[in-house]
Amino acid sequence: MRHWTEGFDDGDADEQLVRPYTITSGRTTPERSDLTLVTLVTTLPEVSTQAALAVRRMQPEHRTILGLCREPRAVVEVAAKLRLPVSLTKILIGDLVDSGYMWARSPQPLTRAGGLPDMTILEAVRDGLRKL
Amino acid sequence: MDYASSEHASGHSPDHVSGRAADHTAGRAGTAPLAVKILVAGGFGVGKTTMVGAVSEVAPLHTEEYLTRAGVGVDDLEGVDSKFTTTVALDFGRITISDDLVVYLFGTPGQERFWFMWNDLVSGAMGAVVLVDTRRLEVSFASIDFFESRGIPFVVGVNCFHGVRDRTAEEIRAALALDPQVPLVLCDARDRGDGRDVLLALVDHLMAGQSATTG
Ligand SMILES: Nc1nc2c(ncn2[C@@H]2O[C@H](COP(=O)(O)OP(=O)(O)OP(=O)(O)O)[C@@H](O)[C@H]2O)c(=O)[nH]1
Ligand SMILES: [Mg+2]
Repeated sequence: MRHWTEGFDDGDADEQLVRPYTITSGRTTPERSDLTLVTLVTTLPEVSTQAALAVRRMQPEHRTILGLCREPRAVVEVAAKLRLPVSLTKILIGDLVDSGYMWARSPQPLTRAGGLPDMTILEAVRDGLRKL
Repeated sequence: MDYASSEHASGHSPDHVSGRAADHTAGRAGTAPLAVKILVAGGFGVGKTTMVGAVSEVAPLHTEEYLTRAGVGVDDLEGVDSKFTTTVALDFGRITISDDLVVYLFGTPGQERFWFMWNDLVSGAMGAVVLVDTRRLEVSFASIDFFESRGIPFVVGVNCFHGVRDRTAEEIRAALALDPQVPLVLCDARDRGDGRDVLLALVDHLMAGQSATTG
């Protein structure tokens, strides 16, 4: 089955974008504080036809993001691909999460005040590194 | 809409955050991996990008962030008394451990003073590698101070440029006034195996810290 984002640009956004704040309609600060550099975002596999049409009226960068994130990607990877500053990328991703095109998974909580990383995760990281 | 909490900004909550449609895809939601973050720090030109590239499965990616801070109390940035905005560059790589787990390695910007403005960079990090160049140890002092003051676990990687090992590990340790608990590993930042060993030293260090408090 064709993914609904098929045909959206997922190549590198090559030309230097000269209108960063136009893309975000002048917004400079992400409204969502829950998107971090390593929050993984994924385009939902199915959206309503109406929603799919609505995204065509968004900025090209929104569609690029949806195309890029058919597999989970970290916010920072999306920013690198789009060649946009992280905070602007967060604004765009926030739009897409808010309107139900994407979902976001927060990073594993690892260091907290007085807390320590989860042993299972440390073991998995160690075993994975050993194979490098 | 009901978002889990703003605590996500500090990386403390594992909750899924999503838009309306996520309710219909709960099963799929479980398939995204967990992301963990490791910082590769140290002063200017010590080999941070080189090490990230050596261990990453992709060529290091590059991105930028705008940092803004109100002028009040900005006394470490002399001459800046209004709102301060700057662009800071970052490069990063990725190691996919499994379908469930991905490690992101961040080569931090050389100027540590910006880290204080960039909470998202350091918060939630599993730990850090501070690279030092034996010929210019002092350029990495600020990184060591930073992680010590934030209580973020770290190891020191001594990047032996051109195989120069003119100082012993003990001499370097003393010059850095390093806590005896903090591992110090000699390495070549260009070498994948060495990069792996430095990261393994960090993970072992974290595990030792873990069992010390729980056991
Ligand atoms: N001979 C040798 N050269 C190295 C080694 N590590 C890094 N270099 C070189 O040293 C220079 C600086 O390395 P980078 O990896 O760019 O250092 P960096 O810490 O990312 O530098 P900034 O981001 O500018 O602070 C590059 O020209 C590297 O090729 C090493 O172990 N041996
Ligand atoms: Mg660099």
